Amino acid sequence: MTAMARLCWFVLLPAVVPMLAIGARLDARQERDAGGFKAPTVALERGRAVYVLNHCHFCHGVDLTRATMGAANLTQSPLVGADEDGNIIGPLVKAGLPNLQTAMPSYAELTPEEIVDLARYVHFLRQQARFKELSALADTPAGDRAAGEAWFNGAGSCRSCHSPTGDLAGIGRKYDTATLRGRLLRPGPTMLREGVSPTTGQAAHLRLLENYTPANVRDLLAYLGEGAR
Amino acid sequence: MIPTRRDLLRALAGGPLLLVAQRPAPMTSAVTSVSGVVFGVETFSFHDLPPAGDPQLIPTIIRNLQTLGLAECEIMSGHIEPFASVMTGWWVQSRRSPDFARRREEAREWRLTVPMTYYRDIRRRFEDAGLRIYLYNVNFNETFTDAERDRTFEAARELGAEGFSSSTVLSEARRLVPFVQKHEMFVAMHNHNNLVDPDQFATPASFETALAMSPRFFVTLDIGHFTAGNNDAVAFIRQHHGRIVNIHVRDRKRNNGPNRPFGQGDTPIADVLRLIRDNRYPIRCYLEYEYGSFRPSVDEVRTCFDYCKRVLAS
Repeated sequence: MTAMARLCWFVLLPAVVPMLAIGARLDARQERDAGGFKAPTVALERGRAVYVLNHCHFCHGVDLTRATMGAANLTQSPLVGADEDGNIIGPLVKAGLPNLQTAMPSYAELTPEEIVDLARYVHFLRQQARFKELSALADTPAGDRAAGEAWFNGAGSCRSCHSPTGDLAGIGRKYDTATLRGRLLRPGPTMLREGVSPTTGQAAHLRLLENYTPANVRDLLAYLGEGAR
Repeated sequence: MIPTRRDLLRALAGGPLLLVAQRPAPMTSAVTSVSGVVFGVETFSFHDLPPAGDPQLIPTIIRNLQTLGLAECEIMSGHIEPFASVMTGWWVQSRRSPDFARRREEAREWRLTVPMTYYRDIRRRFEDAGLRIYLYNVNFNETFTDAERDRTFEAARELGAEGFSSSTVLSEARRLVPFVQKHEMFVAMHNHNNLVDPDQFATPASFETALAMSPRFFVTLDIGHFTAGNNDAVAFIRQHHGRIVNIHVRDRKRNNGPNRPFGQGDTPIADVLRLIRDNRYPIRCYLEYEYGSFRPSVDEVRTCFDYCKRVLAS
């Protein structure tokens, strides 16, 4: 090894590595701006632009979790939970809510494409927030196994894809409660990536995720964790 | 005033803030004026502040004002009190929250027991920086008790505010009449654009009803909301300029339309500013940024201010 090479290895490298690490941290920091974190895909980033540039975040929060000024909490709103690609959100934001104390403005000029982008971004934020909320559920009170079974076979429509004696057989032995809850809430990838769309099943779970009550989750865990052993 | 031995002992027991708070407040006459028009900011404009009660909240507001070269502000109660303003009952929707009653009671208890040195210290910090809290923005509403109203007026005086700007309603304004008389301070009613509820401030008639209740009632005219309610801000200012303390400068579209960057909405910002300039109306112009951006709030407030400067230069 030449003297110059030794200089590189022993002097410059220790100096460069921390710089690279700092650079990576800076890149990570740059992912956030006054409108929250940048979205993971181009389409969602378009939705974020609609959300932020129409100042939705000032009342509903950059991540939907800190609604203020009397605005609806969109992580819990049944209207958002029932929306598909803006079919409910769209007419509402275009009309506004002029009868509120501090009226929600009318966004009559939004195009159909912007409405879809906005709605998908709101659903994305809601899924993040609901996952965080439901993942942090305390284990008590314990769920009701019978209620979980009823929900599995009824309102949740889980039976249409899953079976406790088929693909889910023994799942209660395979995973601990925390892991099982995580897989129940979001069986797909933890973060969306450009060019990778959720499968039909994953999309259905994301829809469920937006609408689970804490009781639903506890009941399903009781049913799957104890029952499907 | 020379502190007595008892004052010093009390100050030492209470920590260094008490010593500072008891000294006479320095007079400040800083004003930001453009072509004779006085500018300030509504602190609501700073959307990226630390949360209520955070020790960095007031220093950040002060730093923002200094960065912008704005000497005075209308400060929201949520930036003074150590709890979110939703706990104080203005937003009717927030009263439906299951824990609202408990949180409201906690806020009331705080207001009734906090020593006035708390407010004096905030005033001192502004004045030491050459700044002034001109208006205290408190949204009076029916969840206030009379004792709470009294304490809030005392708090405003300790902050150095001339009076209040308040998002309130006509029914609450009636309750405030004896308080403005007793404390010899004014309340300026701030409008939104709810045209459905006749108790709300949203139209010229709603303001005129309140102005007739007390000579100590004035107007904080939000020209953006006023325009969104399809009212004529220029005509209102021409008619009522003697009873308007300040305007909130923002740009909204008509028909309950959204906020837009200055110059892109329907609000006659330029006409209003020139009207105030040309007639030397003593109406303060407070910037209010709410149109949404990926940039920090302070940068957008500067953009708003620059727009106003350009308008007044022409």
